[in-house]
Amino acid sequence: MRRRDLLVGAGSLAALGGGAAVAFDVVETTDSAAVEAVSLDVIAAPESNADTVMTPERGRVTFLELFATWCNVCESMMPELVAAHDAVGEDVQFLSVTNEPLGETVTREDVATWWREHSGAWTVAADRDLTLTREFEASGVPYAFVLDAQNRVRWRHRGRTDAEEIRTQIRAAEE
Amino acid sequence: MTTRQHNYTYDRRTVLKTAGAVALGASTAGCLGGSSETAERTVLGPPENYERRKEIDLPFPDYGEAIPEATIPAPLHDREVTTTEFVGDRHAMLTFVYTTCGTVCPGLVSSLRRVQADSVAEDYAEEFAFMPTTFDPETDTAEMIDEYCDRMGVNRDADNWFFLRPDSPEKARAVVDETFGVAYSGSGGHYEHSSLILLVNKEGIVERAYNGGPPEAGAGVDDARALVEGW
Repeated sequence: MRRRDLLVGAGSLAALGGGAAVAFDVVETTDSAAVEAVSLDVIAAPESNADTVMTPERGRVTFLELFATWCNVCESMMPELVAAHDAVGEDVQFLSVTNEPLGETVTREDVATWWREHSGAWTVAADRDLTLTREFEASGVPYAFVLDAQNRVRWRHRGRTDAEEIRTQIRAAEE
Repeated sequence: MTTRQHNYTYDRRTVLKTAGAVALGASTAGCLGGSSETAERTVLGPPENYERRKEIDLPFPDYGEAIPEATIPAPLHDREVTTTEFVGDRHAMLTFVYTTCGTVCPGLVSSLRRVQADSVAEDYAEEFAFMPTTFDPETDTAEMIDEYCDRMGVNRDADNWFFLRPDSPEKARAVVDETFGVAYSGSGGHYEHSSLILLVNKEGIVERAYNGGPPEAGAGVDDARALVEGW
């Protein structure tokens, strides 16, 4: 069974026409299989010169956020992510990943600038060939994930969320 | 009927496909070497849920169907674009959005943008045309559309991105809802709307109608590449 996202407002859309009904036949599920780690290009990282980062990491909890610089909701969530990041320690891999096309109109430097302007103080990376995006079946941004130390997805959330929810989900995955 | 420009490779397969598309179920299909008409007109196989979809009277053009023709101003190009004008020349992707939409629409537009970026990177930009269309012309002025395209990282130099704007709410209703079957309700920058992306081949036939949200991650690019390679 494939995971699919429940679209915001799906109920009201269904009333607009038969077409809308087709896509909503599967609701979200979380499977218990471990996610395979992938290597991503690092755009900016504090206290590190590594070109790539492996995620998720076995042995500690991982928080991942998929975003794009054009995404207003992602932008408005940055203060929440900053607060969540401040509250968790080094025992969590905390990572933001853009999956927008880079290098042609929007460059790595543009993302790095955006990142600085929005006070990003943790590693930001690029999912250039959508490996991570496909693995997580993330059909939109923002999309947040918490994985436990065995790299199992414990929480996935499409759209806006806040620092408190992220901390709660990280704590739950640590247990 | 629109003019078909066959300035592209004039091979037997293209001719057969054109004939099939024009005949639209006429008995001439029997003269085309016994291949089934639908198979000749599409490169991609039927979508996963096609059997179910056929049972539903979908309001929009679905797999294997010709896209409707509508002529809509393209404010960033100072001309009008007809939805079928690239038939015979380019594959196309269409979607229907409003620029102040914060949820579904950016995902739809970014799906088109992903394919545009891939078309530039993989050298098939001249094989594609992208036609996002607003249904909120009152809010979406040419200036708003211009800013929106910048924010979404649209490549203007590729010359294959035509953002379309019906010039009144009435015309938007006629094109988006009544012609393409994309329902919406609301006004002034806030709408509920159904979600549709059409991937259309060079004969103007729908290869994929992604509804209910953007295609799954990467699927749009995979399908576009398969279409270009299989043509």
